[in-house]
Amino acid sequence: MLFTNKKNSLFRRWNGPLTKDLLQKPAQYGLGKTPEKVTPDATTQSICGFCATGCNLKIHLKNGEAVNLSPETNYPVNMGMACPKGWEALSPLSSPDRATTPLLRNSHGEMEVSSWQNASQEFATRFKEIQSKYGKDSVAFISTGQIPFEEMGLLGAFAKFGMGVSHGDGNTRQCMATSVMAYKQSFGFDAPPYTYQDFEESDVLVFCGANPCIAHPIMWQRVVNNKRDPKIIVVDPRATETAQCATHHYPIKPKADLTLYYALAHCIVRDQRIDHSYLDQHTQGFEEFFEFLTDYAPEKIAPKTGLSVSQIEEFARLVSEPGKRVSFWWTMGINQSYEGVRSAQAIINLCLMTGNIGKPGTGANSITGQCNAMGSRLFSNTTNLLGGHDFKNDRHRQKIADILEIDVEKIPSENSWAYDQIIEGIGNDKIKGLWIIATNTAHSWINQKEFTEKLRSKLEFLVVQDMYATTETAQLADLILPAAGWGEKDGCFINSERRIGTIKAVKRPPGEALSDFRIFRLLAHAYGVGEMFRKWDTPEAVFQILKKCTKGQPCDITGIDSYKTLNKAGGIQWPFPVGTELRGSNQRRLFENGKFYHSNGKARFLFSAPAQKLAEEPCKDYPFILLTGRGTSSQWHTQTRTQSSDVLRKLYPHEVYVEMHPRDAEKIGIKDREKALISSRRGQIYAQVYLAPTMQEGQLFLPMHYREVNQLTHASFDPFSRQPSYKASAVNITAPLS
Amino acid sequence: MSCSSTSLEKSLYSDLNLIDQLLGEQQQLQTPVATFAKEHSSLPDQEQYYRTLIPSSQPQEGQQYAFEVELDKCTSCKACVTACHSLNGLDENETWRDVGTLLGGEEAPGWQQTITSACHHCIDPECLNGCPVAAYDKDPVTGIVRHLDDQCIGCQYCVLKCPYDVPKYNPAKGIVRKCDMCYSRLNEGEAPACVQACPNEAIKIVTIDVAEKTRQGFRKEGFLIGAPSPHLSLPSTIYKGRNLPKSAHSASQKDVHPEHGHWPLVAMLTLTQIGVGASLAIPFLQSSTFITSLISVVFVIAGLGLGVCHLGRPMGVWRFFLGLKTSWLSREFAIFGAYSGALTFLPIITFFFPDFSYLRLIQGGIAGLGLLAVFTSIMIYVDTNRPFWKFSYTATKFYGTSFAATFALLSLWSDSLLFPSLFTLVMITKLGLEIQGTRKSNSPEWSPAQHSAKVLLGPLRCLFRARIIMGIAALLLMGAIPLVAFSFLLLSELLERITFFKAVYHPRMPGIATHSHH
Repeated sequence: MLFTNKKNSLFRRWNGPLTKDLLQKPAQYGLGKTPEKVTPDATTQSICGFCATGCNLKIHLKNGEAVNLSPETNYPVNMGMACPKGWEALSPLSSPDRATTPLLRNSHGEMEVSSWQNASQEFATRFKEIQSKYGKDSVAFISTGQIPFEEMGLLGAFAKFGMGVSHGDGNTRQCMATSVMAYKQSFGFDAPPYTYQDFEESDVLVFCGANPCIAHPIMWQRVVNNKRDPKIIVVDPRATETAQCATHHYPIKPKADLTLYYALAHCIVRDQRIDHSYLDQHTQGFEEFFEFLTDYAPEKIAPKTGLSVSQIEEFARLVSEPGKRVSFWWTMGINQSYEGVRSAQAIINLCLMTGNIGKPGTGANSITGQCNAMGSRLFSNTTNLLGGHDFKNDRHRQKIADILEIDVEKIPSENSWAYDQIIEGIGNDKIKGLWIIATNTAHSWINQKEFTEKLRSKLEFLVVQDMYATTETAQLADLILPAAGWGEKDGCFINSERRIGTIKAVKRPPGEALSDFRIFRLLAHAYGVGEMFRKWDTPEAVFQILKKCTKGQPCDITGIDSYKTLNKAGGIQWPFPVGTELRGSNQRRLFENGKFYHSNGKARFLFSAPAQKLAEEPCKDYPFILLTGRGTSSQWHTQTRTQSSDVLRKLYPHEVYVEMHPRDAEKIGIKDREKALISSRRGQIYAQVYLAPTMQEGQLFLPMHYREVNQLTHASFDPFSRQPSYKASAVNITAPLS
Repeated sequence: MSCSSTSLEKSLYSDLNLIDQLLGEQQQLQTPVATFAKEHSSLPDQEQYYRTLIPSSQPQEGQQYAFEVELDKCTSCKACVTACHSLNGLDENETWRDVGTLLGGEEAPGWQQTITSACHHCIDPECLNGCPVAAYDKDPVTGIVRHLDDQCIGCQYCVLKCPYDVPKYNPAKGIVRKCDMCYSRLNEGEAPACVQACPNEAIKIVTIDVAEKTRQGFRKEGFLIGAPSPHLSLPSTIYKGRNLPKSAHSASQKDVHPEHGHWPLVAMLTLTQIGVGASLAIPFLQSSTFITSLISVVFVIAGLGLGVCHLGRPMGVWRFFLGLKTSWLSREFAIFGAYSGALTFLPIITFFFPDFSYLRLIQGGIAGLGLLAVFTSIMIYVDTNRPFWKFSYTATKFYGTSFAATFALLSLWSDSLLFPSLFTLVMITKLGLEIQGTRKSNSPEWSPAQHSAKVLLGPLRCLFRARIIMGIAALLLMGAIPLVAFSFLLLSELLERITFFKAVYHPRMPGIATHSHH
C-alpha cells in the first residue's frame, strides 16, 4: 500500500462527496479498476464502428445498458488497445442532433414530424410513382461501409430484387473501389491477402500514401511490436506522423507513385533480383511487363517523381533484398487517384516479381477504410452480386436465386452504375429518386457543389436514412428516416484482414429511431414485397442466408456456425469453408500455396503507361496542388459522429485549416494563423493557415473532415474503379484582404 | 368497394402491427448481454501488457515517481487522452491529459513531434505553493501531487500558478481537478489509464532521482524544448527517445487567443484599489472626510463582495491561514480582512468623533494597511512569473489605480491645481506603459510580450481602444468636471483590468489549435 486512507480533520478534507465522485472500484470481467459510478454488472464485446482495423471493444454494462467501454485485451486485432474514436464510441449516441422520428418535407418546404406508418407509405408511394413514370431504374440508392453486412445484404436485396432498381452504390466507392478492382484483375478475386501478424513479421514495410499513425493507430501498434528491426519506408508528399517514424521517407510529387513503382521494377529486373521460379509457376504476363519496363530507367524518370536517382536506386534495393520479407501497405494515397488501379497493381507486380506474397511478413496489402467496407465488398449487392458473385454471370444469378428462393428474373443481369455515374444520371434526368443510407454525400462527394447546388433540385424525391437529422445531406432530404447507430443494433463487420466479428445492441436508440435492418424490413413491407423477405427477420437469420451465398467462393464462410462461433473464436477470417480448423494465433493469410483465383490459378501482371499530366495541372491562376486527407486520429470522415463527443472535439481544430510550407507563406505574404482565401475552378473557401514545415513547397493540405473542402476538389475518376481522385487539384491561395 | 376498403384496413392493421413489433424489438437489449457476459478473472487482462511499464517497487528516500514519455513511440493517436477520460470517470468535457505538436527543422519537408502530457507531479509544485487552503498534497513517498477535491474552494489560483496549464476548473462542480497519476491504481499494482492505453508503450511510470532532476531543472535543462522552462516548479516528467531541433516550437505558439476575463477579479481588484485610493485621500482632506471614508468603505466592501463570486465554493475560505507560509492569496485574504474590518469603523469614528486627537493617525494607519493590501494583490500576479504580470507592470497598474482615485477625489474636494496635475501624471504613466507594451507586436521573434501585444491589438482592439480613450477623457476632464472624470476613470480602469487578464500569455505545454481567431 502506497497510500494510507487519510481521515478528515477540521482543517483538511481528504474525503467527501467530490472526492467520491472520482472513486474507483475493482471491476470484474477481466477489467482493472473502473469508476465506481459506472461499475459494470456484466460486459459484452462489440467490434468498433469507425475504421476497418476492427478493434474489439469491451462494453461495460449496467442493468443491461452500456455505461462505459474499454478495449478488449484478448482479441487478436487490438490486444487491449483502441484509438480515441473507439474509446469514445458511445458518446455520439447521446448527441442532441439524433433523429428521433421520421421527418417529411411539407408543401411549404419545411420538415415536419411524421409517423413510421406515414413515412413508409410515402417512401413506397413516391418511389413507385417515379418508377412508373420514368422507369424502374430511375430510382437509385447510395449506401455505406458503416453498417453491418446483414443490413447491407437486406438493403441490396430489397432494392434490387424487391424494388427492381438497377443502380446502387456505396460510399466505399470513395475509399476502396480501386483496391477491389486491382485485386480482382490481378488475383481473380477481391482478396486482400494479409493478416495483421504480417506487420510484425516483416523486414521491410513500405507505406504508400498511408498514414497509419493517425489513420490506423492500432495497426501501427503492430509495426511498433515488430522485433525484426525493420526498415520502414514511407512514400508520401508530406512528412506525416508516419514519415516521422520511418527509417526512409520518400517525399514524392503528388501522383508520381505509378511512375516511381515502374522505376523500382526496372531496377529490380535490371539487377536480376527477381524470383524466377515464383514468376514461372504462379504468374502470367511477366514477359510483356519486362518489355514495358525498359522505358523506366531511374535516370530518365527521376525528375517526374521528385526523387533523385540515388533515392530511387536505394528504394529499389531495399524492397528487393534477397531473403528479406517485404510488405507493401497502401491506403488513400493510392486508391483516390485517376490511375489508382494501375498504381495498386504496380505494387502487386513488385510483390509478385520478388516473390513477396503468401509468406509471413509480405504482401501487396490494401488497408481498408471503413469498419465494414470489406463486408460491403461481399454482401452489399451493388458492384457484386451477393457473396462476391457477378451479375452478368447466368450461373451466379441462378445460384443466388435458388438460395434466396426468388425468381431469377428478379436479379439484374447488368452491373450497377458507380457512384459518379448515379450522380451523373441525376444530371441527365435518368435518376429521379435517390435513397441515401448512412453517408453524407453533400459533404464528401467530390466537387461537392455539383450535387448540392445543381443536381439536388433535379431529384423528385430524396430520402436520407441516418442517425442524425442535421447532416449536410439530411438537410436536403424530402424524407428523413431516423436510424439507430452502432451500439444500438446487432450484426457483423469484416475488418481489413478479412476478419468477421459481431456488433451488439447495448443502448436503446432515442425516440422512434430503428436499426437500418428494421427500417429495411418495414420499407419492404410497405413496398408490398415483405413476403420475399419473410425469412430475413433477424440479422442472424440473414447471416445464415448470406453465408450460403458464399459457398464455393474464395470468400466461403460456410464453416461459421453462428454469431456465437464468431464471438468464441475471437473473430474469424475468410475463407472459412466447412471443415476449416482454427490454428494457434488465429491469423491466416492468403496465397500461401501460390494459387490465385483466375481459372489458371495464376496472378497477372497488369500495367499501362502513366498519364503524362495530373488530371488538373497547376497553372498560372491556380499554381498550388491541393492534397486532402485525414486530419487527426480523433476525426472521422464528415464528422457527423466524432463532432458530438466533447473529448474528441478537444483533440482537433474546430475550423477548417490549411497546411502550407512557411516559405510559400512568406512569398505570398500570409502569416501563421491568418485566414486565407483558397480558390479553385469550382469554388472558393476561407481557411486558417497553419505553417507546416512538413509540407513541400507548392502544395497545400486540407483535412477532408471540414464541409468546405470538397467545394474545391476536381472530379476525375479512375477508369477501372470509378474511384474519385481527391488528392490532386489545382488551387490558388491568397492573403486575406486587410 | 367494400372489399377494397377491407383490404386497405387489413394492410393498415398489419403495418401498425409490424411497426409496433419493430419498435418493441428495438428497445430490447437483454438477450445478447446475457449470452456474452464474461466471468471474473483474478488479474486484469491488460496486466500482461503493462506489467513492465510501472515500477516494481516503491521509491526510496530521495526518489519519486514520474511519467516517462518515449517521443519516438508517441505518434499522435491520442488514445491516452480518451482512456484517461473514460477510466477516470471524468465529466463529459473534462480531460486531464493533453496532446500537442512541436514543429521545427529547416529542411523541407521538415519535422514534427507529438507531445503527450498530463500533470508533471513537480518536485516543487507551484499549484501547491499557491493554494490558499492546502488543497494540494505532495505524497512524501511517491511524490504524486494530489488535489483534495473536498478541500478546494475553487479560487483557481493554481490554474494561474501552474506553468503547464495542468489544473482545470470545473465550473459545474466549482472546483479544480487534475491528474493524480491514477494513484489508486498504482496502489494496487495497476498501471495508470494512459499507460494502459498507449498502443506503442510510449508512456511509463519510472522512479527518478529527485536531486538530479532538481539540478537539471534549475539549469533549465532536462525537460522539453518548446515547453515552459522547468526551473520554476521542477517538473518530474522525462521526455526522451528523439533529438529535438533547437527550432522546435509549439504548433499553437502563434495562436492569438485571449485568456479568461475573470470578471469578479476585475471588479474586485479595481474597486478595492479605488477604495484604498479613497482612504489614502482622507488624511489630506480638510473637509468631506466622512463622505470620502464612506466612499472608501463602499468600494472596498463591494469589491470584496464581488470577488467572492470568483470562488466556486466560498464556504471553505476560512481555512485561508493554511497557506500563509507560501501563498500570496492567503496573505491577501488576511490583509484585506484586517483592512476592511478596520476601514468599516472609519466613517463611524469620523462622524461621531470628528475631533478625536488620534484621528489623523488612525486614518493614516488604515490607509497604510490599504496600501499593504494592494501590495498582496500585486504579488499574487507577480508570483505567477508571467512577463505581462511582472512587478513593475502590475504595481504601476494596481497602485496607479489607487493613486489615480486618490488624486481624483482630492481634485473633487479641493480647488488646488496640484491634484489634477498629479492625477494627470499618474494616468499618463499608466496609459503610456500600456501603449508602449503594444510596440512588441511586430518583432520578428515570438515572445510572451509579443503575444500580449498581439492580443491587445487583435481580438481585444476595441476594448483596448475604449480603455485608452476613456482614460484620456478622464485625464482631460479632471480639471473641469471632476465628477464626470471620476466616472470615466472608473470605467476606464475596469477595462484596463479586463485587458490585464485577457492579454496575459498563459504558458502551457505544446498544444493544438482548437479555436481560430482572426
